[in-house]
Amino acid sequence: MSIFTDPKLGLIPGPFHKKLEEQNRAQNWYDWAGYAGPGVLDSVEFEYFALRNQASLFDISPMHKYRLTGPDTTAMLNRLVTRDVRKISVGRVGYAVWCDEEGMIIDDGTLFHLGDNDWRLCCQEQMLTWLLDAAWGFDVSVVDETHSVAGLSLQGPTSYAVLEAAGLDVSKLKPFDLAQIEHSLMISRTGFTGDLGYELWCDWDKAEALWDRIWKGGTHQGLRAIGYEAVNLARIEAGFLTAGVDFQPVHATERLHRGQTPFELGLGRLVDFNKGHFNGRRELLSKRENPRSLLLRFDVEGFKPSEGSLIYNRRKKEVGHITSGIWSPTAKRSIALAHVRMPDAGRSSGLKAEIYTLQEGKWRTRMARLTPVTKAFFAPPRARATPPART
Amino acid sequence: MSQFDAIVVGGGVNGLIAGTLLGRRGKNVCIIEKSDRFGGMASYSVDGGPTLAHSLYNLSPRALGDIGIGIQHPVLSSKPVSTVSLSEDGRHIVFKNDGVYWSDGTKHRESDAWSDLTRQLITYGDLLRQLAEAPPPGGQKAILSRGALNEFLRLAKLGIDLKKLGKSEMRRFLQVVLSNVHDIILDDLSEGPVAGMLAADAIWGTATGPRSPGTVFNLIYRLGHGGTITQPAGGMCALTDLMVEAAQKAGCLLMPDTEVSRILLDNDAVSGVETTDGRTIAAPNVLSSLAPKLTSRMTGPSAFDIETMRRVRNIRARGTTAKVNLRLKDSSALPSLSDELAHERLIYAPSVEYVEAAFNPAKYGQMSKAPVIEAFKMQTADGASWLSTIVQYAPSDLEGGWTETAKEQLAEIAVETLSRALPGLGDQIAGKQVITPDKIESATGAPGGHWHHAEMSLDQLLTLRPTNGMSRYSMGPKGLFQCGAATHPGGDVMGLAGRNAALAALEALP
Repeated sequence: MSIFTDPKLGLIPGPFHKKLEEQNRAQNWYDWAGYAGPGVLDSVEFEYFALRNQASLFDISPMHKYRLTGPDTTAMLNRLVTRDVRKISVGRVGYAVWCDEEGMIIDDGTLFHLGDNDWRLCCQEQMLTWLLDAAWGFDVSVVDETHSVAGLSLQGPTSYAVLEAAGLDVSKLKPFDLAQIEHSLMISRTGFTGDLGYELWCDWDKAEALWDRIWKGGTHQGLRAIGYEAVNLARIEAGFLTAGVDFQPVHATERLHRGQTPFELGLGRLVDFNKGHFNGRRELLSKRENPRSLLLRFDVEGFKPSEGSLIYNRRKKEVGHITSGIWSPTAKRSIALAHVRMPDAGRSSGLKAEIYTLQEGKWRTRMARLTPVTKAFFAPPRARATPPART
Repeated sequence: MSQFDAIVVGGGVNGLIAGTLLGRRGKNVCIIEKSDRFGGMASYSVDGGPTLAHSLYNLSPRALGDIGIGIQHPVLSSKPVSTVSLSEDGRHIVFKNDGVYWSDGTKHRESDAWSDLTRQLITYGDLLRQLAEAPPPGGQKAILSRGALNEFLRLAKLGIDLKKLGKSEMRRFLQVVLSNVHDIILDDLSEGPVAGMLAADAIWGTATGPRSPGTVFNLIYRLGHGGTITQPAGGMCALTDLMVEAAQKAGCLLMPDTEVSRILLDNDAVSGVETTDGRTIAAPNVLSSLAPKLTSRMTGPSAFDIETMRRVRNIRARGTTAKVNLRLKDSSALPSLSDELAHERLIYAPSVEYVEAAFNPAKYGQMSKAPVIEAFKMQTADGASWLSTIVQYAPSDLEGGWTETAKEQLAEIAVETLSRALPGLGDQIAGKQVITPDKIESATGAPGGHWHHAEMSLDQLLTLRPTNGMSRYSMGPKGLFQCGAATHPGGDVMGLAGRNAALAALEALP
């Protein structure tokens, strides 16, 4: 259970709250795992373009973080997640999903391989009880670091230059590398935007000093604090999934059959059947070939945001819905992530989204053609260049 | 190339039956037992004293038949024993097949009520036995397969038999089956030793009292094979020896004094076992008669889903029954008991309330100061006379642990309790053996020293036995099966769990 169940507490301040409050001209806070997170600080357009053209700072401290140590940690994690963690070497970060016994995804997250049998799991959902269950019978200690490790996401084309100006050398970090840069500062070249970017991890009480240091480094690099709305635009462009939006974490569902397998979410590459048993493996073996639906990426005709729209096939039968849909300012087109049921997902041609629009008191529907896209909507080469460019 | 088609881990009654059945169906089987003798809890004894189990009431003729032992076998055809409820005033009550009598031979006024109720429960037991003699319903078979059809027919027969009881009987069955035995007994009988006897029979080996829900089921379970109690000629060991013989005849290789340390896997399928002395025995199937937690520990938690392990470690198995064996100075009669009653089954359970009160301390980790006791006077092979007693309740998790003092105290309590009805018993005692649940656990592996490896409560029965998702005897990797008392239908020297498991394994075997 979350420690934030007392409604009298309200939203509680995170480690960067004072810094964010100074800049939150919109006073737009939202509930992120009990913490007050900024939805928008100023305007979403400014923030989004800072992320894509300059540099942006986003507080990711409310993410749930768990430290797993002990001689059996690798074995325990390999039974937990669907991919083979032995392939994530020390100093690397890996994206992983983990499933229940029926092969339905519980959550996705990133695994930081900090040292020999020393890992940090970073995810959206509260996972302590599940990890304790998963660790039973293994010599592993699980420590919830959610409220002791602060995280700051620095993303955008000038983010490398910002760190350089702040006196932090990350020139050797390739994507998904991590390094203990200073005594109380770990930096990983990771992010949720598909752009060049870093995530900075420090002790909770050192958060404000870190913020000041980065902020000063960003003086000439167009650094801007941003809120979730801008991040959300960027992650949809990158084709990343959000728990509770693009898939339903199965432990949080109450209705039957709302969970999804990794294959249904296009994450089959993360499932390694050859590594030995992992949770849900036996079920996934039989479910691999029979997905009920697929998560697809679409270009959407027109420019209206398509989120929540139902999808119809040629015979006007409803076959799915759009989970995330926006006008992409960088791709300059309307893009969407969608669940489409089989067999229409296999054909995925001739599909249309029924988009509702409100114009000055008048509701209309329009049927927008959907064109399937296989790659990310926006994947700039700068995100992968090492050493990264300064601008 | 594997030497064996299947390895059975644990040579108790269920392990022996499972292995023998497979052997008789042409499989090459090896049965591994860690102690030097087979029989598990049924034949376990300390220093040649009486065995843990000392009577038979639920041994399944069907399971025996499947391993080639006829129910008419000389070992099994001894005369049924009656039950004697001991009384402080010396007016003991004798429960016979045809009614209830005072020890002087006169009929007890509640004889008819007791007979009617017992008969009714035996009828229900007949019905439920159909469920016990097959794997629990709800297998994931293809709906049109032969197995699914058989299962459907079996359930249909149960439905029809239930219907045949008649409307009011059926209603009564459905009304009582999940209820507590206290209420049901006292509906028909007045409070006292006659009711107390049924209350006691509903709680042997369980962590429940007469007021606990589900105890009517326990009583029906006990009466599932008619309720007749016998002692095998030559003792429990004669029976288990018979089973060992059957196993050998079926071509099973018996390996006593061999302890399995690990169940080996290869690519999510069983490949054999490793023993503590470092040997590897290969086989594509392993049937474990150990409790699920031990089995999963031997296999390693990595081989099972996280939910499975959570369920396995939350299986409730809290043993509450101790064995106290009192060695008698000589074979002379017990005080206050006529010769003809001396070799019957003696119980001390003067009332339903007494049984419930005995349970109270056990809830809080204390031993009963006034326990319910079942006793048999018997002779062991060496000619020594014993009073073999089952003392309920002596919880496995006794506060402060089962120290020598605690054991001594339990023995004192048992003697004291029996002496109330058998005054002077103490003077006849030459020695005592106290086998507490923790000792039973360390000797046999039964979790908590529990008779059934898992409490026979409604949440751990049928398709939920031993846990949800594991009721069809297979567990985790391909080729791993459970065949112990923790599986459906349970323990009690019945043998059906082992038999059902072997049949389930046969279905999966090529």
